[in-house]
Amino acid sequence: MGMFRIEEADRPHIVRLLIIWVILSAIGIVAVLLINYPPYDQTVQGQDQASTLRLLTVLATPVFIGVVMMTVYSAIYFRRTTTELVDGPPALGNTPVQIAWVAISAILVLFLAVVGIATLSSENVAQAVGQPGRAIGQSGGQTGSATSSSGGPELQVQVIAQQWYFTYRYADYGGVETTHLYLPVDRPVELHVTSLDIIHSFWAYQLGVKADANPGVDNIFHVTPQKTGSFQVRCAELCGLWHGHMADSSGQVVSQSDFDTWIAQQQTDFDTIAKAVPSYAPFYFPEPKLKAG
Amino acid sequence: MAVRTQTYDSAADAEVALDTRLVAVGTWLFLGAEIFFFAAWWFAFFYLRALNNDQAWKAQGIGAPSKGYGAVVLVLALLAAGAYWVGSRAPSGAVLFRLLTPVALVLGIATCLFQGYEMWHLGFGMTDGGYPSVFSGLTGSWVVQFALATAWLGSIVTQSGPAGDTIARRKPAGSFAWILLFLAAVGIINYILLYLVA
Amino acid sequence: MVVSERRLAIPNNLITGILLAIPAYFAGVWLGTLFGLDDDQNTGVILGYLLATVAFLAGVGFLNYPLERLFGWRVTPIADPVENAGIGRFFRLSLDHKVIGIQYLVTILLMLLFGGIGAMLIRTSLLVPDSTITPAGQYIALIGLHSVMMIFITSAVIVGPFGNYLVPLMIGARRMAFPRLEALSFWVVPPAAVILAAATFWGGFPTGWTGYPPLSEQAGQGMDSYIVGFALIAVALVTSGVNMLATIIGLRAPGMTWTRLPIFVWGIFTTSILGLLAAPVLASALIMLGMDRTLNTTFYVASNGGSNYLWENLFWFFGHPEVYIFILPAFGIIMEIVPHFARKPLWGYRTGVVGLFGVALLSWFVWQHHLFVSGIAPVLRPFYMLSTELISIPTGIIFLVTLGTLWRARVWFTVPMLFCLGFLFNFLIGGISGVYLSDVPTDVTLHGSYFSMAHFHYTIMGGEIFALMAAAYYWLPKMTGKMLSPLLGRIHFWWMFIAFNSTFFPLFIIGLLNMPRRVASYNPDLVGLNRWVTISAYFLFGSMVLFAGNLIYSWFFVSRPALANPWHARSLEWQVPTPVPARNFDRVPVIVGGPYDYGIPNARPVADLGGMVGATGGG
Repeated sequence: MGMFRIEEADRPHIVRLLIIWVILSAIGIVAVLLINYPPYDQTVQGQDQASTLRLLTVLATPVFIGVVMMTVYSAIYFRRTTTELVDGPPALGNTPVQIAWVAISAILVLFLAVVGIATLSSENVAQAVGQPGRAIGQSGGQTGSATSSSGGPELQVQVIAQQWYFTYRYADYGGVETTHLYLPVDRPVELHVTSLDIIHSFWAYQLGVKADANPGVDNIFHVTPQKTGSFQVRCAELCGLWHGHMADSSGQVVSQSDFDTWIAQQQTDFDTIAKAVPSYAPFYFPEPKLKAG
Repeated sequence: MAVRTQTYDSAADAEVALDTRLVAVGTWLFLGAEIFFFAAWWFAFFYLRALNNDQAWKAQGIGAPSKGYGAVVLVLALLAAGAYWVGSRAPSGAVLFRLLTPVALVLGIATCLFQGYEMWHLGFGMTDGGYPSVFSGLTGSWVVQFALATAWLGSIVTQSGPAGDTIARRKPAGSFAWILLFLAAVGIINYILLYLVA
Repeated sequence: MVVSERRLAIPNNLITGILLAIPAYFAGVWLGTLFGLDDDQNTGVILGYLLATVAFLAGVGFLNYPLERLFGWRVTPIADPVENAGIGRFFRLSLDHKVIGIQYLVTILLMLLFGGIGAMLIRTSLLVPDSTITPAGQYIALIGLHSVMMIFITSAVIVGPFGNYLVPLMIGARRMAFPRLEALSFWVVPPAAVILAAATFWGGFPTGWTGYPPLSEQAGQGMDSYIVGFALIAVALVTSGVNMLATIIGLRAPGMTWTRLPIFVWGIFTTSILGLLAAPVLASALIMLGMDRTLNTTFYVASNGGSNYLWENLFWFFGHPEVYIFILPAFGIIMEIVPHFARKPLWGYRTGVVGLFGVALLSWFVWQHHLFVSGIAPVLRPFYMLSTELISIPTGIIFLVTLGTLWRARVWFTVPMLFCLGFLFNFLIGGISGVYLSDVPTDVTLHGSYFSMAHFHYTIMGGEIFALMAAAYYWLPKMTGKMLSPLLGRIHFWWMFIAFNSTFFPLFIIGLLNMPRRVASYNPDLVGLNRWVTISAYFLFGSMVLFAGNLIYSWFFVSRPALANPWHARSLEWQVPTPVPARNFDRVPVIVGGPYDYGIPNARPVADLGGMVGATGGG
């Protein structure tokens, strides 16, 4: 590599820096591998995000250490030691070094982009409108009549945001609407996120789900819980006065049998009040009527 | 390294050349900003039209205002800009310039008045959906800017006396023609979008 | 037509402006009440703010020139700056770029105090996990005021004071291209700040700086402050952009070739392009929002032919270049200052310029990364993920150039140099955390959380404000004629550096642990970390107070003037005397050398100044 001929004066600095960098980076990478990354492993998608987060941190560590080390090293070794002002060597640049720097950063960036796109396409991390999905709640309101009681492979849940709480409509179970989100474990869920008034964002932290709720827009998000347990739900888009209180930790991932019991109970409870509740039809759109993009 | 050298007969000549260049550069920069300003409106036009949310881009019974009337406004604007452009290209102190600048001013004022009249008689209200909103906002933004440009044109006319700024700074006054032409060109695009594509 | 010698004869100054603005505001409210469509007062409030601004500008003297033109009276294209016109010139319309620079500096620092106090109130509220300290409405109002005020400040904090003061000195010009536009770019900022602060009387506005409709259409009259104030900042960005670009293009001294241009001027150049082109898009979006709120149009009303995504697209099409408007001049400052104290030429000058332009160009193609979870078409996401990550390449170049300049240098550890090194550390963290947010899968968890909040505070406060501090310690001796105390400066640096990192680094963790932005009540598990952050934030505020003390002390209480060139720097702005003469240079200088030619044998001085003070002469 004749291009990278190293000047005699640079050699001790480069050797020293390389040794320190390799040691510190190794320690750093081991350290960041030990961290348990959110949003942990309650869902397939969450686990995916956590591993991407881990990958990014592993890649960032040597970059961070390298640049900080160069800065600190310069501050220590290249400081002026005389009281007189002296000029340094008049180096105007070094084309091979510049090309190498740009090439390395380009490779890192492209690698990250490829990994990101791969994750995106493999897990449907956030499929949004434009995907018709199956129409849900075709009966248009809380009439209690089941529209698809057989149920597809995906459980369909409509998340309805409004100032300042979320409600959940189980289209596969007669359009029953609840204030708590229960999901069965190991069954893919298709969330249809919408809003009745202004923009909210449905954030179920442990599920690895965040989807904006826009008025009149059906924002679709796929998630597959793989562990039972509770999760938190909150709004992640500033939505006015009580935005900070638009949160609860009553979400549950439960076994299929527990879910069946719970949803049956909800349907029973719901039947008694159904007649008193006005239809939602004028205020939100059961099927994707408006488009985003 | 070569030193940029330009020679002028006097310091005053150098100042005039500099003034001319700066105003020309500034005009083109400003027009760059203007392109982005109107591009945002054109984007809004196509975006809302494509989405047609709630089928309310153009609600039932709402259509573009009279194409002929819109064309009259557009032609007035084009004539105003064209007249000033031709006049400003004439040699210093030329009769053509003295003649055409007031003509351009009258045409400019007429443009604003005709456009204003149209906006009071649209046949739809601004609350009637996407198209009425874009029409009012885009045409309104355009006519306000055209009116401000016309006011500046007025000052060019009042300053065209013997010791006036227009005569002292003919070339900078010429750069202003590009702003009028630009606004007229925007008028053409707006006409195509708002009246023909709708 | 006979041109008369008449003049408009009102005394034009700040007082006249304020006296005219107050009745104009009420006239606007009255008109709005008469003709407005709504039964609320939005039309009146917006008209009031607009009329008040116009009246203020008229009182300051901005209408004299156009009106005198229109009346056919004699006008002077550019007035010569007056030599040493006393303290009053800072309170009047001045066309001297040096006066405008100082006006900007003081105004922005006062606004910074306002925004900083807002931050302290926000952090105080977060001492407890529920909203007992600030009721929910107050907290959200604080968020809005702090964020928008800081956006106003950071849009102008480098270009305003330092760009205006220094660009003509650095390129060898005696004035700016368009002094009236330059003055206008300053004089709309105080009304913008006052109008924004006036939102307090209406209970603030609930949307933060993003102003998303429909919330911003549901909001009360405080929102009108956001619209008019932000529109005025857009005016400032456009006028400043036209002026700066035309100046740099057209007024460079003979011999000031593009490759001899100080890199700080390149930073101003690229940021001016972004400001010039991005701000009009914001203006359009704000006009639509204002029309929706007053004339009941439906640009953003999804149920009547509009779409809230229209705002999100237009706003971020402006908003993402906007954040590079903050940081590009900061890059310029770092690459400008480091060579002077490394006593080496800027390493890879051309590559650095390419880096600045690369950032500026790519910033137009990334805006939808703010909308990854908003429900945009999924096919768009890979593109915006890639384009966003590509920005790390030109940003990396800035680091390369700086580190290359430091390599085997003879670093002189002055206070500006300390802040430059602090910038490198902070901005590195800010940049790396940006990659986390650009990646769609991780963004699902991080978007809208304290992680993203920590990210942009690292880039803006840790980046731009640290660069601002470097610039202040470096250039204020030229601008105010007084050296800032280096001892206090060192204490300030270490205090601010530690307090800053102690404040904002934990916020990454808080964000990863499920705390969203802009909430007054949060998970009680996080109270320990939040208290740590709040205490650190108080210390951070303390460091800023120390800076203010240092500034005021050195400016007004130190009698010994600064040397003309205390840093023994080569660049042109240090070759003029202190205080800078009214017309900067006796005659237009001829540039014969580069600004960073340290250590080059037989390097020529930067310019032939025609017998003016030499490279290291006293003032």
